[in-house]
Amino acid sequence: MSTHRSGDLFERFLGGPVLWVGLLGITLFAMGPFLWVVSASLKTRAELYATPITYIPTYPTFANYVETWTSTLTPFSRFFANSLWVSSVTTVATIVISTSAGYALARFRFIGKNTLMLVFLATQMFPSVLLIAPLLSQWYALGLIDTYQALIYSNLSFTVPFAVWMLVGYFESIPHELEESAMIDGSSRFGALIRIIVPLAAPGIAATTIFAFVSSWSELLFATTFTSQTEMRTLSAGLLYMAGQYEVQWGTLSAGVMISTIPVAVLFAFLQKHLIQGLTAGAMKG
Amino acid sequence: MKEQEATIVAPAPRPLLSRTTREMLANYAYLLPAAICLGGTVLFPILKTINMSLYHNVLFRPQDYRFIGLGNYARMVQDQTFWLTLRNSFAWVLWSVSFQFVCGLAAALLLNASFKGRVILRTINLLPWIVPGVVVGLVWEYLYQPNYGPINDLLRRAALMREPAAWLSEINFAMPAVIITNIWRGIPFFTIMILAGLQAIPIEVYEAATVDGASITQRFWHVTLPILRPIIVVATATRIIWTFNYADLIFVMTNGGPADATQITSTYTLLVAYATLDFGYAAALSVILLVIMLVFTALYLKFTKGVESVAG
Repeated sequence: MSTHRSGDLFERFLGGPVLWVGLLGITLFAMGPFLWVVSASLKTRAELYATPITYIPTYPTFANYVETWTSTLTPFSRFFANSLWVSSVTTVATIVISTSAGYALARFRFIGKNTLMLVFLATQMFPSVLLIAPLLSQWYALGLIDTYQALIYSNLSFTVPFAVWMLVGYFESIPHELEESAMIDGSSRFGALIRIIVPLAAPGIAATTIFAFVSSWSELLFATTFTSQTEMRTLSAGLLYMAGQYEVQWGTLSAGVMISTIPVAVLFAFLQKHLIQGLTAGAMKG
Repeated sequence: MKEQEATIVAPAPRPLLSRTTREMLANYAYLLPAAICLGGTVLFPILKTINMSLYHNVLFRPQDYRFIGLGNYARMVQDQTFWLTLRNSFAWVLWSVSFQFVCGLAAALLLNASFKGRVILRTINLLPWIVPGVVVGLVWEYLYQPNYGPINDLLRRAALMREPAAWLSEINFAMPAVIITNIWRGIPFFTIMILAGLQAIPIEVYEAATVDGASITQRFWHVTLPILRPIIVVATATRIIWTFNYADLIFVMTNGGPADATQITSTYTLLVAYATLDFGYAAALSVILLVIMLVFTALYLKFTKGVESVAG
């Protein structure tokens, strides 16, 4: 009896103080670096380089944001537009290509289907480092250096395998009687796919969308290698370019960091449920 | 059904291709876009890499371009830096993934408890994983900055340090510093995976264990962990492969320096390609990266198959 009560006490201790201190600790660790950058982005130039350093800006100002956004040397408005265009087109192309391929792999019998699935799994793990040199010479030969196409095509190399892998699972979970009855009613297979299967697979497609968008938005190595003109850089490549200037301007750089982070953070906050379901469904499947 | 109708009405003219062949071709058409896309951006580049690795190919010396067979690989065996980068990669993966796992598990257990504001705390704790890699690298570069960075400042205020340390440019500190950054970035991946696993455990399992008199620690070791095992294996294996190849953070923060202290094999490949423009040697390094990755993936598949048969 007494051991039971001490167990209860221990559990209450775990559920009370330990839980709250633990939650506070991990949240501070996760948020701390962001809070520092938000604070730095709002500081004046004098305060950024003052000693001792301050944690809360004394005279908060948006000057860094204005400067970053309109700078002619590192035009962040242009970088932002580039990132938005490249990520959006990559996302739409990824959805179209992988819906079609994922559906085929879930429904039809192929010679070598298992091998194909393995290829999709293996290519997900491919390091982009590996593709840099051959893709560079390929895009150079095709005259695609400093174009959006080169970045979009290259991004597909990592978005499509993952998206196909994720969507196959979703399509397999939808009973095939559904589109078969539509096909008996005179619909073509493609029509049935568009009108019946795609709406049912919406959560999977949402997960694929956010994955494709966020990973293209974050992509760095392709964007720095396949562009040479400043105005063709994406946000990631632009930030690196900005940090590589003769002297790092932490104020404007912090503002640039916030501009690059906020869109994906907002998108993630709204769609995280779908992405997490999609990710973990794949993992649980093994 | 359709076939029946056709025979009753009239014998249809025999089409050029049989019905099954046509159907099969139509089925393959669904795969065509993905095949073209991966052929052009993955398969062909890889074949090209293998081919490039057999040539002496330094971009600014086109007159020296010639076939050298396995010459680039022979050079790699003797390249001390290459072996150093392999050891660095090993440390980078080992420390990053093990701490990501332990912290991710702890975070998942905490965030699985029911309390007010759980959704907001979960979102906040997942943020480090969603922001671009270059952002993570630059933010931490600022945190580590010797004169204006908060880490030195906090350590000095806590009287743990007298002289400011240049974390990213001292040989002994640089690798731990980038690993800590990578841990920070990777914890949420494990948190997400394990949290999903925890939510899939039916509450009855715990209730039964509690009725049987199992304490909270016993429940953790004998109920929670065994159920989570498959998801932990999958998450860890994926993470190992991924971390081995991950170049962005080091590329942004130290570019492999100081004196190759943080140079891992994937950043070394980038360096050879960008700085020396020796595409032949860079391609040979890429091929080795590819082989290591394929071995990892094969092990992973074998491993997870085992897990599946145990779990199911």
